Amino acid sequence: MAIVERNVTCPVDTTLETLLATPEGQQIMSCLQCGTCAGPCPYGEHMDYPPRQVINMLRRGLLDEVIASGSLLRCVACYACMAKCPRGIRLTDVLLPLVKEQTLANLPEMPGELQKSLENMLRYGNPMGESGRKRAAWTATAGVPVPLIAQAGRPVDVLWFVECYASFYPRGQAVSRAAAKLFHALGVDFAILGNDEKCAGECGRLTWESGLFESLAEYNVKVLAKYRFHRIVTGDSHALNAFHRRYPLAEHGWQAEHTVQLLARRLDELKPRLTKRLEAVVAYHDNCCLGRGLDCYDEPRALLTAIPGVKLVEMTHNRMNSLCCGGGGGGMWLDTYYKSKDMERLSERRVKEAVAAGASVLAVACPYELSRFEDAVKTLGHDKQMVVRDVVELLAESLEG
Amino acid sequence: MRQSMSEPVRIGFYICHCGTNIAGVVDVDRVAKYVATLPNVVVSRNYKYMCSDPGQELIQQDIRENQLNRIVVAACSPLLHERTFRNATAKAGINPFCFQMVNIREHDAWVHTDKEEATTKAIALARAAIRRVPHHKPLEVKQVAVQPGVLVVGGGIAGIHAALTLADGGQKVYLVERDLTIGGHMARFDKTFPTLDCAACILTPKMSQVRAHPNITLWSYSEVVKVDGYVGNYRVTVKRKPRYIVEDLCTGCQECVEACVYRQPKFPDEFNVGLGLRKPVFLPFPQAVPAIVSIDPGTCRVFTHPNGCKQPCVTACGDRKAIDFSQKEELVEVTVGAVIVSTGFQIFDAKRVPYYGYGVYPNVYNALEVERLVNASGPTNGELVMRNGKRPKTVGIIHCVGSRDENTNRWCSRVCCLYSLKLAHLIKERTEAEVWNFYIDMRTPGKLMEEFYNRISGEGVHLVRGKVGDVYPDPADPEGQRLVLQAEDTLLGRVLKFPVDMVVLSIGLEPAADAQQVRRTLNMSCGSEGFFLERHPKLAPVSTCNDGIYLAGCCQGPKDIPDTVAQAGAAAAEAYALVTRGYVEQEPNTAYVVEEDCSGCKSCVPLCPYNAISFVEDKKKAAINEALCKGCGTCVASCPSGSIVQNLFEDQEIFSEIEGVLANE
Amino acid sequence: MSEKAWEPRIVGFFCNWCTYTAADLAGVSRMKYAPNVRVIRLMCSGRVDPQFVLDAFARGADGVLIGGCHPGDCHYAEGNYKMLRRYHLLRRMLGDMGIEPERLRLEWISAAEGDKVKSVINDMVAKIKALGPLGLPVRFQTWDGELAADGHAGREEVRHG
Repeated sequence: MAIVERNVTCPVDTTLETLLATPEGQQIMSCLQCGTCAGPCPYGEHMDYPPRQVINMLRRGLLDEVIASGSLLRCVACYACMAKCPRGIRLTDVLLPLVKEQTLANLPEMPGELQKSLENMLRYGNPMGESGRKRAAWTATAGVPVPLIAQAGRPVDVLWFVECYASFYPRGQAVSRAAAKLFHALGVDFAILGNDEKCAGECGRLTWESGLFESLAEYNVKVLAKYRFHRIVTGDSHALNAFHRRYPLAEHGWQAEHTVQLLARRLDELKPRLTKRLEAVVAYHDNCCLGRGLDCYDEPRALLTAIPGVKLVEMTHNRMNSLCCGGGGGGMWLDTYYKSKDMERLSERRVKEAVAAGASVLAVACPYELSRFEDAVKTLGHDKQMVVRDVVELLAESLEG
Repeated sequence: MRQSMSEPVRIGFYICHCGTNIAGVVDVDRVAKYVATLPNVVVSRNYKYMCSDPGQELIQQDIRENQLNRIVVAACSPLLHERTFRNATAKAGINPFCFQMVNIREHDAWVHTDKEEATTKAIALARAAIRRVPHHKPLEVKQVAVQPGVLVVGGGIAGIHAALTLADGGQKVYLVERDLTIGGHMARFDKTFPTLDCAACILTPKMSQVRAHPNITLWSYSEVVKVDGYVGNYRVTVKRKPRYIVEDLCTGCQECVEACVYRQPKFPDEFNVGLGLRKPVFLPFPQAVPAIVSIDPGTCRVFTHPNGCKQPCVTACGDRKAIDFSQKEELVEVTVGAVIVSTGFQIFDAKRVPYYGYGVYPNVYNALEVERLVNASGPTNGELVMRNGKRPKTVGIIHCVGSRDENTNRWCSRVCCLYSLKLAHLIKERTEAEVWNFYIDMRTPGKLMEEFYNRISGEGVHLVRGKVGDVYPDPADPEGQRLVLQAEDTLLGRVLKFPVDMVVLSIGLEPAADAQQVRRTLNMSCGSEGFFLERHPKLAPVSTCNDGIYLAGCCQGPKDIPDTVAQAGAAAAEAYALVTRGYVEQEPNTAYVVEEDCSGCKSCVPLCPYNAISFVEDKKKAAINEALCKGCGTCVASCPSGSIVQNLFEDQEIFSEIEGVLANE
Repeated sequence: MSEKAWEPRIVGFFCNWCTYTAADLAGVSRMKYAPNVRVIRLMCSGRVDPQFVLDAFARGADGVLIGGCHPGDCHYAEGNYKMLRRYHLLRRMLGDMGIEPERLRLEWISAAEGDKVKSVINDMVAKIKALGPLGLPVRFQTWDGELAADGHAGREEVRHG
C-alpha cells in the first residue's frame, strides 16, 4: 500500500504505443479483472467504463470507445483504486492520466473553468490568474519575518515552497501565516522563493496537460537549483506529490516533505508550547496525495492530539480508505461540469461524514480542501456547527502568545 | 570392488539430451566430441535419456567392455539422479563413488538461451568433472540404525490421521499438540464441503481413537522446543506447559467448573474464537481430547487476585485431587526415528484489509466466526444471530479476503470459494436470508466440487463476479447497523451498492505465526510465502530437505480436508517405511585427520557443531569420530596444516574442478 | 583467446542445501540469467577453503561467488558463519594483493530463493564487467618473463594441496 516507495519510471512523454513497453504498462497484462478498483472509485458509478473495464478495453484494442465515452473526465486522481489494486497496477500514476489526456484532447470543447485555469497556469504560473509579482505579497501581513532565499545569501535548512493557493487565496494565506508562526516558534531556518516560485504543476500533470507540467517543472527546478538548502517543505499535498513522483529530486539530492511531517518530527519541542486549549472535536480528513499517495497517516493525527482540549474522532472513511474531496486531477475546476452531469459533489459527501462523526472541526492538510469543504459546509447548512481548519492553523492557534 | 588406485584411470563420459530439455540448448554432440579429446577419457557418448533403463545399461556395458573405472554423467541436478547413476555404476562392479555428475540442465540448459554460451558452459562443467574423477577413491556406505518411534507435531486432522496410521501399523507415536485439545481447525468447522457432513461427526471418533490407542502418547498443551540428532535418531525435547490439572487424575467430570467462584462464564472462549464465554476452569469443548479440564492462570482468581480464592474447585474435586496450582512447566525427552510436521495454518487477519471494516463494524465477521455461529455446539447453539442479537435478512460474503493480493498474501488459499459456498448454503438454510457471494474467480476444482457449486447456485445464492471495494454503514439506515457493499458487477460493468445486514469475510490461510521458529527447530526450509518447503513439488511432496522429517497438511500449503488426510497418510507411509526398515545409509562424506600432518593446534576442535572432533592428549593430535561427523567440511577448510580430509570433497578434487571450469577449450 | 568480446569468468561455490538447491529451483522455474558462473557444489559454505578462492583467481577467474544458507538456517548449524569470518579476512587480503575486494562476493540464498540466484548472478556479472578482466595468469606470465630476463628463476607453478 505504500505507493510512494514505487517511483514512477515510465518516461514522462508516455503514449499509448509506448505504454506496453514500460514495466508499469506491462502490468495491465496481469490485471485480474476483479473490479476492486471500481468499488472505491468516488465516481465509479458514473463511469461508462470503470477502471477495470478501461484496462480490458485497452487489452482488446478498444480504447477509442473509452476515450469517446469521456468516462475518465470523472477520475479525480485520488489513488483509491491504485491503493487497493491486488496486482499493484499503477492506475493513478500511469494508466488513467494517460487515457484522460487523450479524452481531453478529443473533447469537442474543454470544460471552461478547467481551460481557464490551465491557461492561467501557463501565463501567470498560478491557476487563479494572479500576477506572479504579487506571489509573496502575503508575507507583509505574516506577523513574523518570512525571508526570501535570494536575499539570504547563504544555504538554509528549509526551502518552503508555498504554492499558489497558500500564496494568493485568503484562506490559504491564513494557513501560510500560521505556518510561518510555527516555524519561528521552533526556530526553523527557512526561506521562500517569493515571486520566483511558480505552480508546481501537479494538476497540470494529472489532468495530463503534460506539456504545461513540463514547462512549470523545468522552470521550478532551474530556480531551485540556484540555491542550497537541506529540504523542500510545502503545505500543499499536491505539490508534494508532484515533487515525489515527477521532479528529479534524487538527481539534485533534494528531499521533500509536508509541513505536517516536519512539525511531527519536532513534536517533542512543539508540544510544550501548545498551551492554549481548543475545545474541539476534530475529524481529520486524509487527503489523497499525503495519505494514499505518500503513506502519511499518523503524523497529522499525532499533531492534532498534542493540542490540549482536542478530541480526535474518525470519519467512516479514513486513512487509506479516505474519500476524495473531489479536487484532484483537475476536479478543482470541473465542479460545473460534474454538476451538469448530475453528479454528487464529493466534498459534500465528505462533510456529511464529518458531521455524522460529531466533529466541530474538519481538519485538513491540503489547501484545496479549505475552499471545497467550506463551500460544502455552507451549502449543506452545517456552518453553525462545523468549521474547516488546516492542521497548521489549529497548531498555531494553540501556540502560546 | 575390483579396481585399485594403481590402475590407470579409464573414464566413461555420457551426456544426456533429456529429450530436448538439454539438447535443445546445449550442443551435446560437440560436448561429447570435445570430452573425448581429454586425457583419461576412453568412452564419450551422448544419449537421449541417460536415466532410462537403456541409458543406465549403456554405462554398465561400457564399464564391462572397456574396463572403465570412472564414470561422469552430464545431465540434470545430482540432487535428482546422482543416486540412480551411482547404482548403475555399482551394478557393473565399480565403486559407486567413482562417479561424478555434471548439472547441465537446471544450471545450464534451463537458465540460458544462447546455445553457444550454454554449450561453452557445459564443456567447462564437464571438463571440471573429468579432471576431478581421477582423484575419486572407492568409499563404503555406512548403515546407521534407525530408532523406532515417530514424533508427530501438531494434532489437527493431519496429525491425527498420521498418528493413527502409524500407530495402527504398530509404531510408537508421540503426538504433540500446542493447544489444550487436539482437533485443530477442523474441530471448529460446522459442515464440510462438498458432502456437507458434519465435521464433528467425522472428526471426534478419530480424536477418541487417538486417546484410546495404546501406541499413541498424546502430549497436549505442549510444544517441541528442541530437536537434536539426525535421520533415524532425533532427540526431541518437549515442553509440557502447566494446565494446573493432574492429567491422570482428572476424570473430566467438570464438577470443578460448576463450583468455580465465577458463577457465570465471563471470559472470552478461545475455542469459539471469542464469540462465547468460559470460566477460568474449563473444558475447551465437549468432545475435547484429552477430556480433561484446564485452569487459565490469566483469569483464575488463585493467580490474579492478591487475596487468592477460596478454591471451591478443589473442594469439588475432592479425593480425586486432580487440581494442582503448583504445577510447573516440565521438559520431557524422547528419541524417535522420524518426525511428521503437521502444525497447520492460521487464518488471515482481516484487519489487514482495513476497508472491509473488520473489527470496526460489529456485523462484519470472518468465516471462522461464522462456522462457530452456525454450529449447533457453538456460542449461539447454531442460531445465526449477530452481535446485535438479530438474525440477518441479507448477507454478503466477500471471497479472497487477503488472498491473491500483492498488498497482503499473493496466493490462492484453495478452500475459500468452496467454504464460502458452503457458508452461503448454511446461512440460507438457517435464516432464509438472501445471500450475495462476491468472487473474483470461482475456483471449485476436485472431485464433486463442481457439482457442489452447481447445487449451491441452484439454491438461489446470488453470485456477483466482482470484488468489493468499499464497506461502509448505510446512510439510509437510521440505526446505522446495515452496511453497504460497493462493488463492480464486472459481468455488467457497473458499480453497484448492495445493502446487507451481515458481512462475512472469506479469509485465506497463511503460515502459522511461529512457522519460522518451527522451521529452525527442525532444520527445514520455507517457500517464499512461508509455508514449509517440500523436497520436490511433484516427486517428494511430503519429504523435506532434512531426511526423516515429513510434512502433512496446511503447514505445507493451503489444502482442503480430503487432501490433508491423503497427505497425512502419505507422510505416515514415508515415516513408516523409514522406521521399519531399521537403518539408513549415510553418505560417506565424513572427514578424517591425517595424523602425521596434524600439528595438534586444536583449532578444529571448537569448530565442529556436533562435537565430533576430540583432542587425543597422549598423541597430541586431533581425532574425528566418524559416527558423529555430518560431513560439512568446515574443519577441513579451517585446518592450518591441511591435515583434515573430507571424503568426496577432498582438496585435490575441488582444485581439479576449479582448474577444469577455468581452463581454456 | 577467442576474438569475441571479453566475458567474465566467475567460479561459484554453492552449498548443497540452500544455494545449490536454489539454483536448481531457478532452473526448474526456467529463469534466465547470465551464463558466466560455473558452480562447484560443496556440502556447506563452511567448506570453502580460502585457498579455493585464491586458486580460482590465480587460474583466471574474474570473480568468485560463494553462496550459503541464511544466518541461522545453516544445515550444519553455523558453517555459514565460519565462512563469513574467512570472507572478511579474504576481502582484506585481496585488497592488499591489489585485487578489487568486490571480485569476491558472499550471498545468503535459501532453497526457496531461485529469483535471488538470478538477480545476484546478473548483478555480479554486471559489476565484474565494469571492473574488467583480472587476468592473473597473464600477469603471472609477464612477471615470470621479467624475472627470467633479470636472471632470476621463474615463479613456481601454483601448487595445490
